[in-house]
Amino acid sequence: MTSYTATGIDGLDYILNGGFPAGSSILLDGAPGTGKTILGMQFLYEGAMKGEPGIYITFEEFPEQIYNEMHAFGWDIKALEMENILRVICLSPEILIDQMKQPNGLFEQLIKEINCKRIVIDSLNLLYFGIEDLVEKRKTIYTLRNILRKNTLTSILIHEQTSINKHNIPIVSYIVDGVIRLLLQDHQTMYRKRTLEVLKMRGTKIREGEHIYRINNSGVDLIPSLTMIEDKAITEYQSENISTGIPALDNLLQGGIPKGSTFILDTNSKANYKYFLGSILARRALAGENAVILLSSLASILDLEHIYSLFDVDLRDLVSKKKIYFIEHYDRPIPEGYRSAVIKVHNLDDEEYKRVIDENLWNYIKDSTEQGEKWFIYYDLNTIVSRRGKDFVKSYFTEEAAKTAARGITLLALSNFTELGQETSSFLERTCNGVLQTNVDGNYQYFQVKKSPQGVMSQPLLVENIQSKPFIRLV
Amino acid sequence: MESIQINPLTVECTLFFQENPYTFETLSGLGTRLGRKPEDLRPVLDELVTNTILEIMGTGDNAIYRYNQPKSVDMNGLMI
Repeated sequence: MTSYTATGIDGLDYILNGGFPAGSSILLDGAPGTGKTILGMQFLYEGAMKGEPGIYITFEEFPEQIYNEMHAFGWDIKALEMENILRVICLSPEILIDQMKQPNGLFEQLIKEINCKRIVIDSLNLLYFGIEDLVEKRKTIYTLRNILRKNTLTSILIHEQTSINKHNIPIVSYIVDGVIRLLLQDHQTMYRKRTLEVLKMRGTKIREGEHIYRINNSGVDLIPSLTMIEDKAITEYQSENISTGIPALDNLLQGGIPKGSTFILDTNSKANYKYFLGSILARRALAGENAVILLSSLASILDLEHIYSLFDVDLRDLVSKKKIYFIEHYDRPIPEGYRSAVIKVHNLDDEEYKRVIDENLWNYIKDSTEQGEKWFIYYDLNTIVSRRGKDFVKSYFTEEAAKTAARGITLLALSNFTELGQETSSFLERTCNGVLQTNVDGNYQYFQVKKSPQGVMSQPLLVENIQSKPFIRLV
Repeated sequence: MESIQINPLTVECTLFFQENPYTFETLSGLGTRLGRKPEDLRPVLDELVTNTILEIMGTGDNAIYRYNQPKSVDMNGLMI
C-alpha cells in the first residue's frame, strides 16, 4: 500500500490525494520568482516538525541567504539544524554526484547523521550544466533518482524553467516519479496569478488542472481549483443527502442531493439528460419522498412511466398511493389511471396558474409536510419559459425556491442556460444551491458539477452510456 | 609587545564557514564561491585545517573542505 508524505501545503496534499508517494522523486519546475525554494523548504520544515528530518542541497545559493529568507515565514532553520532535523548543505554539483556514488561517502554519511527522510536538490539544471550529450544528461539524472530511491528519500528536484513555452516538457520529466509546474500568468489584464499544476504523479490520483497559490506569511498557500465555499446551512442543518443513483455524482456531492436544497440541471439541446433525471427521480421515490413533476412537451406521463420503470419504480403505484402529482402545460390526453394526479394548466393565464397551483398543490403539500411527509419537486423551466416567458420564470422560480427551502422540500429544475440568455441564467444560478450541467461538445457528452452546497465543483466528466442502471457512467 | 598579524583571507574563510556551516567544497569550488584565486586560498585553508577549524576529506584537487563545528558545551554542567 502506498504511504503518502505530507507536503506541508494543505491544498497540495488535497490535490495529491494525501501528499507525495513516500520515496518518490518529484521534479518542481518553475520560472524565477515562482516560489520553488519556499515550497521546497516548506516541505522540509513540515517533515522536521513531524519527525522526518530533511536536507536542502543548494548548489548556488549560500545557506545564510536561505536562513534569512526563510525567517520571513517564521522558520528558524538554524535552530532546526541544531536539533539535527534539518540541514542546508552547500556544495558543487560534481561533488554531490561523486560523493553519492561512493560507498559511505559524504552523501551517505549526511543521510545517516540525521536519519534523513526528505531531500530537496536546488537545482537539477546545475547538476547537468555543461553536459551537452542528452544520453549523458539522462544517465546523470537516472543515477541520481536511483540513489535517492535506494535511500528511500522523498525528494523534490528543483528545475529552473528555461523555456518560455509552458508546453515544453523538461527531458528529466520522463525519469522522475512526479512533475509539478509553477507558473506566473497574466490575470484580468492588471494582475498576475501564480498557478501550480501536477503534470505527472506515479502512485497517486491527482486533481488535474491549474491551481492558484499565494505566497503569504506562512509560505505557499494553495487553493485547489473547483472548490467553493460550503453552504453549511444546507450541509449541516439539512444533512440528509439522498443518493442520485449515479455513484460518481454521489461521490462529488458527498452522498447525494441534500434535502431542502435547490438544484438546476442545465443542458444544451443535444445532451441526453433522461438517465440523470430518471435516476434522481427514482431514488427520491424509493427514499419515500412524494413528488410534483412539471411535464414538458418532450416528456409525457407515459414517457415518465417508462423512465421510472427503467429504475424499478412503478409510477402508477405512486399515483394510486397519492405520492406523485403532475402539472400539465399542454392539452394532451391523460392516460387512464393518472387523471386524479394531473393538474391541467394549459389554458390558465399566469395569475390563474399561480392561484391554481397554490390552492390545489401548495395547500396540500403544506398539510403533508406538517405531518412529516417529504417532498421533491421537479420543474422543467424550459416549458415554463416557452409557455409563460422569461420574466415570469424569474419571479416564479424565486418564489418557489423560497417556499421549498422553507419547508425542507428539494427542488430540481431543468433548464437550458444558452437559450435563456446570460442575464436570466445568472439570476437562476444565484437562486440555487447547486448547478449540474450536461452538454454535448463534439463527439462526447460531458457532465459537470458547477456549484453545490457542499462547496464542490468538478471538472467536466465524460458521460458514457452503460447497459445497466443508472445507464450512464461519469468518467 | 608582539603584534598579532591576521590574514584578512583567513577571517573571510572562517566567517564563510561559520555562516554556512554545512558547506562541502573543493579548493576550486571555494574559489568560485568566495571570488578568490585558488592559489591564494590554498595556504589559508591549509592553515585552518591545521588549526582544526576545517576538516579535509580526500586528497588532491578533489579534496573537500568542511567546517569543523565547535562542540557546544553545557555550561550548567560545569557550574559548581
